[in-house]
Amino acid sequence: MAAAMKAGLRGLGLRAGWQTLESVLRPAGAALPCLIIPVRTKKKRFSVPEWARELTPEEKERRLKSLGTVFPEEHMERTFYLACTADIIDPYIPPEGDARLTSLSKDGLKQKMEKMKRTAASQLALRKIKDHDPNFSSKTFPEKAQEIFIEAHNSLANFNKQKLHSLVTERCYPEMVRGNRYKTIRWSFVESLEPPRVVHIRCDSIVNRGNLYGQVTVRMHTRQILAIYDRFGRLMYGGEQVPKDVLEYVVFEKYLVNPYGTWRMHGKIVPEWAPPKEPIVKTVMIPGPTLDPSQEYEGTK
Amino acid sequence: WLVSSSLFPLSCIHTSTALQRFGKWEKKNWIVYPPQLPGEPRRPAEIYHCRREIKYSKDKMWYLAKLIKGMSIDQALAQLEFNDKKGAKVIKEVLLEAQEIAVRNHNVEFKSNLHIAESMTGRGRYVKRIRYHGKGMFGIMKLSRCHYFVKLVEGPPPPPEPPRTGFDQAKEYVQHLRSRTLVNTL
Repeated sequence: MAAAMKAGLRGLGLRAGWQTLESVLRPAGAALPCLIIPVRTKKKRFSVPEWARELTPEEKERRLKSLGTVFPEEHMERTFYLACTADIIDPYIPPEGDARLTSLSKDGLKQKMEKMKRTAASQLALRKIKDHDPNFSSKTFPEKAQEIFIEAHNSLANFNKQKLHSLVTERCYPEMVRGNRYKTIRWSFVESLEPPRVVHIRCDSIVNRGNLYGQVTVRMHTRQILAIYDRFGRLMYGGEQVPKDVLEYVVFEKYLVNPYGTWRMHGKIVPEWAPPKEPIVKTVMIPGPTLDPSQEYEGTK
Repeated sequence: WLVSSSLFPLSCIHTSTALQRFGKWEKKNWIVYPPQLPGEPRRPAEIYHCRREIKYSKDKMWYLAKLIKGMSIDQALAQLEFNDKKGAKVIKEVLLEAQEIAVRNHNVEFKSNLHIAESMTGRGRYVKRIRYHGKGMFGIMKLSRCHYFVKLVEGPPPPPEPPRTGFDQAKEYVQHLRSRTLVNTL
C-alpha cells in the first residue's frame, strides 16, 4: 500500500515530492512508525448447535478456541504530530512609540522596557526553557534569532522549500508563501540599526500536560530592501534601491520536549500603532452599491 | 515491511480528490518571466484560459471564435451577448472567467484594458449513439464536443491591417524586379 501511495502521489503531479510531504508530516525528530496491513479474515456466520447451547463456561471457551482465532476489528486511525502551536500564546503588546524619539527621558523609557522583560511570567517561562535546554541564554539568543530570520527570508526569495521548512514553523510557512508561487521576490538585509533584544518569553503545553512549546519574542530594528515582481517581471511592490527601516517583533518557537527540536520563526506581532504600509503600484476597483435600472448613483462625497 | 513491537495503524495521506489532467494550454499560465530591468518597456500580461468538453460542434464554434478574434474584451462581450448561437453563451462565460482571473491572479490593473489575441477551438471527445429511423432502421449518431481556448493580452487591440490595394501589389512587383541579380556573369 505504501508503493501504491507513492504511485498515487506521482500521478497527482505534486512537484514538491515525497520528501517535503514527509518533512511536513513528520519533521526531523520523530521516530519512523512501522506500517502494517491488518489482515481481515472471512466473517464466519454460524449458529450454536443445540447440543452445545448448555455447556459450562470453560467448555464453551474451549469450543470457541477450537473453532478458530478471531482478530479484533482494527480502526484505521490517522495519527498526527503537532510540531508547532497554532497561534502566538499571550502576544506581546509593544509599547507605543517604541522606535521614535520620545520627549520622555531616555533612561525612564529604557528602564520601563527592561522591566517588561523581567515580568514574572517571562522569568518562569525562561526557567522552564532552561530546564529542557541548558544552553539557552537570553543574551546570545537574539543574534541566533536574527541569523535564522535572515536565512529564512533568503530561502523565501530563492524558493528553497526544504530549507524554509526547517527554519520556519508550519503555522508561519503558509503566511510567508501564500500567493508567491508565480512571483519573484528580491529581499536583502542591509544592516541592523539596533542590536536585537529578547522582549517576551512564554511557555505552554497543548493537548497533554507536559507537551511543552516555548515561544520567544525578539525585537528587531533593521534596514531591509524588498522588491516583489509579478509573473511578467513587472515591479509590484517596493524597490531594489530603496532601503526601508523596519521595526519588527518576531516570535520564535521550539518544541522543547523533542530532543531534536530547533528554534524556528513562528510569526510576527504587528502593533496597532504601526505606520501604514506603502500602497501597491496598481489601481484597484472597489465595487459600488448594486442599483436597479431605475435608480441613479448618488453620492460622490 | 518489518513488523515490530511498536505498531502504528496505516495512515492515509490522500485527503483531497485528484485534480483534472492539465493540458498544455493551462500550463502556459505557469511560466514566470525574470524581473524586467528599469529601462525595458513594460511587458504586457498574457492570460491563457480554456474550457474543455463543451457540448457543441467545433465547426459551429469556430465561427464565433473567428468573430471575436482581435477585438477588445468589451466589444467581444457585447457581440456575444446579442448573438443567437448556443456557443455564444459559453464563450461569454469563458471570457468573463478569464477577465476575473486576470485581475485577481495576474496583476492586471484595468479589466477593460484586455484584448483577445488568440481564440481557437479544438475537438473534444466524441461519443457514438444510436439514432432510430423508421422501419427498424438505425443510424450511428456522433455526439460531438469541443474545447475552446482564448488568450487575453493586456493593452488596446492592435489596429486592423489595411487591405492590400492594387498600388501595394504594383509596388511589390516593381521591388521584385529591381531586386533581380544577374547570375553567372561578370
